[in-house]
Amino acid sequence: MTAVLELSGVSKVYPGPPPVRALDGVDVSIAAGDLVAIIGPSGAGKSTLLHMMGALDRPTDGTIEIDGVDIATLSDRRLSGLRSHRIGFVFQDFFLIEGITATANVAEGLLYRGLGRTERKRRAIVALERVGLGARLDHLPNQLSGGERQRVAIARALVGDPAIVLADEPTGNLDSHTSEEIAELFRGLNADGTTIVVITHDVELASHFPRRVEMRDGRLAEVVA
Amino acid sequence: MRSRLRVLDSVLLGLRGLASRTARTILTATGIAIGIAAIVAVLGISASGRADLLATLDNLGTNLLRVEPGSGIFGTGSDVPEEAAAMTGRIRPVEQVTQTTRTEASVRRNDLISELETKGITVLAADLDLIDVLRAELAEGRFIDAATSQVPTVVLGDVAAKRLGIVNLDPVPRVYVNDTYFTVIGILEPMEIHPDIERSVVIGYPVAAELFETTRSPTSMYVRSAPDFINDVAEVIPATVNPEQPDAVQVSRPSDALEARKAADEALTNLLIGLGAVALLVAGVAIANIMVISVLERRMEIGVRRAIGATRGHIRIQFLIESMMLAGIGGVLGMVLGAAITVGYAASRNLTVAVPPQGLALSVLAALAIGAVAGLYPAIRASRIPPAEAVRK
Repeated sequence: MTAVLELSGVSKVYPGPPPVRALDGVDVSIAAGDLVAIIGPSGAGKSTLLHMMGALDRPTDGTIEIDGVDIATLSDRRLSGLRSHRIGFVFQDFFLIEGITATANVAEGLLYRGLGRTERKRRAIVALERVGLGARLDHLPNQLSGGERQRVAIARALVGDPAIVLADEPTGNLDSHTSEEIAELFRGLNADGTTIVVITHDVELASHFPRRVEMRDGRLAEVVA
Repeated sequence: MRSRLRVLDSVLLGLRGLASRTARTILTATGIAIGIAAIVAVLGISASGRADLLATLDNLGTNLLRVEPGSGIFGTGSDVPEEAAAMTGRIRPVEQVTQTTRTEASVRRNDLISELETKGITVLAADLDLIDVLRAELAEGRFIDAATSQVPTVVLGDVAAKRLGIVNLDPVPRVYVNDTYFTVIGILEPMEIHPDIERSVVIGYPVAAELFETTRSPTSMYVRSAPDFINDVAEVIPATVNPEQPDAVQVSRPSDALEARKAADEALTNLLIGLGAVALLVAGVAIANIMVISVLERRMEIGVRRAIGATRGHIRIQFLIESMMLAGIGGVLGMVLGAAITVGYAASRNLTVAVPPQGLALSVLAALAIGAVAGLYPAIRASRIPPAEAVRK
């Protein structure tokens, strides 16, 4: 299996005072087709790790390779290009744009790809159908339930056919039943070949995932089932 | 792998940003609208007013001099010699000379009215070419000519006619000058720069000499000169018309009053435009302020956009376009409002409407430029927010 994401010796220090070492020499490799849960208590550096993985931030030390490219060599513009083509983000608070439809929100995920409006809309509808919202295309975010909103956000992450989907506490604002459904959705998408990394502090939820790594004080360890 | 944002998409993005905050957009755009409307209206109104003023100036010419006997060095009035006009006519650049003489006569509507009630109307004896030299127009009838100047006929100044209660020549009115009825044969149009003639009734020298013993010693002399030599002519006139007492001759240029008004108008216009510019500046600051707030509020949106692939440039252009559109909306509103005010004002004052179309286009461009300048700092600030920080919970 080729590694989609390869982190070696990655550290992140937030300048103080006092300086905070959020990541402390993390080595991890995500292969194409992986479905990984990153677990750990809050403050363990999970979000920071996810931002590094998604090229939203640069490490203080160590190297990160996304699709075989060392991101340290890329300019801010190139990083943006990388994010637009290869990475899909899902956030805990969904971060949908109020006032525009589910389809428009998902199509927004293709806005910086230079595609025409009709093509963006066509792909958005396909993505919404993949997450099971084919019947909610023209609904506004405030007409959707929490679980449905998160599905829209997941569709937005999927719409550009990214090499990897990174989800930061995607069920953090959802009840346990809805969380189960979202976990189920991730498993289904993974079965279709999508590489997914999910951050969660919900150990119960993580138990559904084939691979789990645990973060503690900025260090990472595989959890052996 | 590059991020790309289509131009149309970036414009729609800006529009959506404004549309999602309607009240704020309207309030902020109003500031720009007021500034632009003020400037457009001031320019329009002053252009309309000036068009008429310039036409009047053009029409009357600026090469006319008026010569009058001033008070002499000993404080007493001093007559101008009868040959003055002929002498002045011999100054080379002088093209035309005409003169009037105030008579001692008084004018009344009829013989039943007391002689003391003059209503401030003067009886002037005038040369036949007076209206020609002054470029005056007749509202009714005709001016005195070689024949009618011999007999009791009179032409009324505009104000004099109104004071005597005469509005037209049908039926032919008569006025009572001293002890003789004069037939009114003409009424003059208003004469902006010759208020003294407006308030007079004009008769011929022959009849004035016969009935009131008026001499040809002028109380006013009007001189048209070649425009380039007007100052030279003005300088030599006193010694020419009254060699004995050149100090007792006053030379003035009636068009100076209009020129002064024009200058005053221009100064006022500049002042008002300055006020409009201050209003625009304030509106620009308000836009910058609102955009800074908007950037703070939309941190999350900025973070998501960066996460889905927007470059710093894309974020910058989004906020810049939003700011420019905000100002542009204000500019268009202001332009329409300013043009409407101008048309309304011009219509109410019977002025020629002169709203310069380049001015309108320029005002919208100015608004866009203000939007661009005001939006620059907030846009740069938005683009510098680190994406990881923007999406942090």
